[in-house]
Amino acid sequence: MSMTEGKLTRADLLKAGAAGAIGLTLARPAFARTIRIDGVTLNMLTWSDHYANDQLKAVSKTTQIQGRPTLFSDNADAYLKIKQTGGQFDIVSGDALWVPKYNKDGLTVSFPLSELSVSKQLYPIARNFPFWKDGSNYMGYPFSWSTVQIYYNPKYVTTKPNSWHALLDSKYKGKISLENIPTDVMAIAGRAIGAKEPYSMTSAQISQAKDFLKQLKPNVLKLASQNNEVVRALADGSAWIGITNLGTDDRVKDAGGPVVKTAYPKEGTIGFIDSEQIVKASKNQDSFFKFENAMQQAPFIAQNFITNGRPLFNEKAYKILVNTGHGDRARRQYYNKPENALKMTIKGPAGDEQAYVDAFNEVFGA
Amino acid sequence: MTTQATSAPAVARGRLRRVRLSGLAQYAGFVPALVLFGLFFVVPLALIVGYSFWETVDYNVVHHWTLDNYRYFFSVSTYVSTMWATIWVSVAATAATIAIAFPFTYWLVRYVPRSTQRLLLVLVILPFWTSYLLRVYSWLNILGDGGAINRFLMWAHITDHPLSFFLYDRPAVILVLVYLYFPFAVLTLYASLERFDWNQFKAAMDLGARPHTVITRILLPQMKAGITTAIIFVFIPVLGEYLAPQLVGGAQGVMIGNLIVNFFSGAQYTRGAAAALLVAALIVLLLIVFRRSLEVEDATRA
Repeated sequence: MSMTEGKLTRADLLKAGAAGAIGLTLARPAFARTIRIDGVTLNMLTWSDHYANDQLKAVSKTTQIQGRPTLFSDNADAYLKIKQTGGQFDIVSGDALWVPKYNKDGLTVSFPLSELSVSKQLYPIARNFPFWKDGSNYMGYPFSWSTVQIYYNPKYVTTKPNSWHALLDSKYKGKISLENIPTDVMAIAGRAIGAKEPYSMTSAQISQAKDFLKQLKPNVLKLASQNNEVVRALADGSAWIGITNLGTDDRVKDAGGPVVKTAYPKEGTIGFIDSEQIVKASKNQDSFFKFENAMQQAPFIAQNFITNGRPLFNEKAYKILVNTGHGDRARRQYYNKPENALKMTIKGPAGDEQAYVDAFNEVFGA
Repeated sequence: MTTQATSAPAVARGRLRRVRLSGLAQYAGFVPALVLFGLFFVVPLALIVGYSFWETVDYNVVHHWTLDNYRYFFSVSTYVSTMWATIWVSVAATAATIAIAFPFTYWLVRYVPRSTQRLLLVLVILPFWTSYLLRVYSWLNILGDGGAINRFLMWAHITDHPLSFFLYDRPAVILVLVYLYFPFAVLTLYASLERFDWNQFKAAMDLGARPHTVITRILLPQMKAGITTAIIFVFIPVLGEYLAPQLVGGAQGVMIGNLIVNFFSGAQYTRGAAAALLVAALIVLLLIVFRRSLEVEDATRA
């Protein structure tokens, strides 16, 4: 070989490359084995406000368990993904009445809450939601909750919108922003027309809800793909009204936006209570407990509240918030009143999801 | 003799095997593409076709054959009007992209030194180094109420309050789509224009043709395949866009892709599959229409 002369022919280069590739191939199994022994990766199907990247890094360091999140927006989407992908996910987040549906359909497993020592940090009410009980087991680990209400910019909206129908006023043309979740938007419309069970409306009620949305459409600036887009639209002034979760007022302020106020429609509203569930087909079920024990610790949850604004169920985190000067903010967002979570119409599967999505698309298409 | 008699057929068999192997070898390069397209295109496509003829009942895809999903799509005027809106937005965005990309590429190939051409081409594809999402989001900072345009207008005292019509409507969608797909058009047109023999241009001018005549009678006919390819590269992805209209189009800038996403996020896979296939059918139809334009003709033919 001419290496000694400092020259490398193309043939030499190819031979060296092939030898290197073979060497790497042979060495890989031993290397991979080391990684498998040292750590587990848990695939999470979740929302972006259920974790922070720093939190995942810290938990990975202490537990050797890496959380790998995949995002979704609509419960229906996540439900079908879990149904179709089997054990590709280990943890799935779910709202209120979706949790029993997952469980009943054999997609998740319930577990003794006592297996998670961190559950002692929860408000007692969060450990006793009747719709999540499965004998002595619980169907999911309670995480956060929020009502969906109206936030408005008092500079432009001078009369407090105390009814969903107030949003139909033509002076709000192109000034309302809300999240693009067909089922929930239909449920809000259901509330507006007085449906007692907005997630199980009859065909006639769906038709009325659709008519309500048709009237609302000219006033809708944007159907946001993520909650932070609603915050942004309120912050930069392009939207005067946002239909969104608790804590939006603080998030708008944090984003350098104007003061926005809250209004609760007299027809009532919807809301969520969400949780982390174990996927039944997961091969890493044992790691769930170690992982969630680390993820749900009060300091992380307190930080989550400051970032995302809506209340969570970890009582110890509330105490941290009070002790670090965030008590006013936490109380304003009802963090210390978890019982309020049971006063709203909680999210769940629609009685006829297809009719809900069809109606939504028929309104918001071109 | 016996040995010779048996060895002759053996030699012939060996030769035949070699011929067959060499015959197969010429297809070896085709295998990776076959596997890739088979696994990741044909199989998923077949699944989508299947889904489009099934139905969803209580979040379950039921294998009950039906045409309902297609019937529904054509029976509701919203979908037809959204499809038309999508087509005209795609046509407008494609036309604007080509109208901007062609003069730029012409100038680049004809007047810019070769070494600088490379640099400018790198600058054209520079946005690809950032994520798609980031590129679309950046337009919120340009077109929004607190964006660069409004700030400039207010600074110049042209208006005393932010103008909201730049964002959240169809013009904003078209503008962002032009920005997103401009590099595709430039690269395709560049590959075509670079091969053009500019002596023909000079010869025509020497014979008294005006620049406009030379462009329309000599350059454009030879660029037909390149322009058609650029149109296809821009129009087809634009037709299926949903993120740009979602982020900058608002409630008034919805395209068919947005409604399809709603079906899928609402677990209505069967409805979504039917709608997606109808868009795919439209694309296939357009490709058939464009097929003739892609046939490269002899440019010097009389």
